[in-house]
Amino acid sequence: MQRRGFLGALLAASALPRLGWADAGSPAFLAAAKDGAGAYWLQGLTVTGDTLFALPLPARGHAATAHPVRPEAVAFARRPGTFALVIDCARGVEIARLAPPPGRQFNGHGVFSADGAVLYTSEVVAEGSAGRLGLWDAAAGYRRIGEWETGGIGPHDVKRLPLSDDLIVANGGIATDPGDRTKLNIATMRPNLARIGADGRVAAVAELPGELAQNSLRHLALLPDGRVACATQWEGDAAEIVPLLTLWDADRLTPCPAPDFELLAMNNYAGSIAFNAVTGRIALTSPKGGTVQVHDARGGFVATHRRADACGIAAAGAGFVVTDGNGTISALDDAGLRPLRQTALAWDNHLVALG
Amino acid sequence: MPKHLPPLRRPALALLALAMLAAPARADVAQVVSDHALPGYARLTAATAALAAEPGCDPNRLRPLYHKAFDAWLAVAHLRLGPVEDEGRVLAIAFWPDPKGLGQKAQAALLAAADPAVLAPDRMREQSVAARGLFGLERLLYPAAPLTGDYACALIHANAADLARMAAEIEAGWHDGFAAALTAPGPGGRYLTETEARQALLTALVTGLEFNADQRLGRPLGTFDKPRPERAEARASGRSLRDVQLSLLALRQFAQKLLPQSPQTQAAFDKALTAADRLQDPTLAGVADPQNRLKIEILAQDIHAIRDAVLAEMAPALGVSVGFNAADGD
Repeated sequence: MQRRGFLGALLAASALPRLGWADAGSPAFLAAAKDGAGAYWLQGLTVTGDTLFALPLPARGHAATAHPVRPEAVAFARRPGTFALVIDCARGVEIARLAPPPGRQFNGHGVFSADGAVLYTSEVVAEGSAGRLGLWDAAAGYRRIGEWETGGIGPHDVKRLPLSDDLIVANGGIATDPGDRTKLNIATMRPNLARIGADGRVAAVAELPGELAQNSLRHLALLPDGRVACATQWEGDAAEIVPLLTLWDADRLTPCPAPDFELLAMNNYAGSIAFNAVTGRIALTSPKGGTVQVHDARGGFVATHRRADACGIAAAGAGFVVTDGNGTISALDDAGLRPLRQTALAWDNHLVALG
Repeated sequence: MPKHLPPLRRPALALLALAMLAAPARADVAQVVSDHALPGYARLTAATAALAAEPGCDPNRLRPLYHKAFDAWLAVAHLRLGPVEDEGRVLAIAFWPDPKGLGQKAQAALLAAADPAVLAPDRMREQSVAARGLFGLERLLYPAAPLTGDYACALIHANAADLARMAAEIEAGWHDGFAAALTAPGPGGRYLTETEARQALLTALVTGLEFNADQRLGRPLGTFDKPRPERAEARASGRSLRDVQLSLLALRQFAQKLLPQSPQTQAAFDKALTAADRLQDPTLAGVADPQNRLKIEILAQDIHAIRDAVLAEMAPALGVSVGFNAADGD
């Protein structure tokens, strides 16, 4: 673990952006939102939650991903998604727009290859929800150049492991109706975290134990030592109380339970997850519980904080920034939540850290 | 009506109508706190204290007090915000549903060990939430097989004292800050704006309605091919339907305090309460019988219709909705 951390730091130093992300004016975060008139926006925010730019979205957004070198990010539609916007973050303008090929739907997340040459998009085959990664040439105007299988049904978040071109895909396991998001296979769902090699092959698949087969693996946060923290959503009997944090380490999954009554406060649902490398804390949000739960880097429960409809979360300084559907952007540390800014927007599912 | 269950008292509709006329146009959060939450918690403190104060172990004396305490809980059980969220109290008071039978197992372990030290208040509060509270007491007061010996009796008293402690702590927590957090929102508080406080209450109202339809009725309903009457809440003490009725009455008062002028919502409550009264099925055993099952399904639909009325009528009038992200799922 120490060796990997050291090498990771070394790589990060050598991969510092030559220009772009360091430019003054680049936002710290991207977040999608809905305004009072029902219009959808993508905003670039500073680390204290101030708006640097606002771009109109054709429909509801979800998450985004940053290019490793250029000050560029791609913002994705909420699933079943029909668009993704490539944003010049230094200027706050849209520079390209992607649409999935026929029969495919974006699933809200994506990630770049380590050198920034390829964008991978989380997708499903519309009929049946079989998982695909769409491949786009980021050096040639985001031309579609292929697709890979994800090794599961209904992929959602996708991240690239540090010091690697291996991808981790959260195959949420849920087949949905391509038109209305109705869940079709809850009784038989089988989510997994799949590791996809740079050659596009599924190198390994990690599953939860059978009694947690209905715990949809959905959102990921990378730890610098090569582990991945995964936030889940329980689709089984609502009366059961199950862990919502699972740690992935070398193709194995370890659920990390919290005390029952703390888990109950999350209402069996985690919407987003983030890791703070300064404090070694993992934080999960639950808009359905109106809670943010903090764990240590081994998955041990630390604290529950209350904030109605809290969902977006990203690391910042020695804590986190949290967005909610009531318009507030808050700072979170061990002392609790503190509002930074109140807006008239309903902040959507994710707050994405850039740069 | 099963023995020990006091008759259901219903507020006269005419009185309710008068109260609605006299109320200001927007009673709102302060009214909910002063006329609904605080008196409800005071009654819960009193009812659980009375149960804890009962000496001896005569079921004929304990059971009526138990029902009064449970009744008092139902008047506030939907207020899942504030002090009841702390220290796992909401689960420790009412650990239901319990599909894995954790409460039964934890209590059996306590009875088998018969360790007198566990009965001390500071040890009792550390026991599994599944073993404590109203459902822990139900298993002791309405046991599947007769309980014998002094330890079971002592466990009843320890359980009742623990319940009374939690009720008193919750009431104190409302007086010592949470009521003010709701009625005087602002920076540094749990709620930043009046809108957020109203949203918290509206969410509690909607969640409370859904709990009745989806859990209290939905769990025993199961599916048509596989009804699950054994899953009904508080079946042993014969108050499964009563819990739905009392909860709906409490939720109706809650809604009326939150927004006095909500005729669609109040009418939807009346329809569901009338359907519940007609059921005459204390333990919801009728889920397994096609004809009676239909009536219980209709009651569940009537409760969903209350929720729909709340969202259509009350949410816009209060200027709030249930959460943007909470209502989603992605």
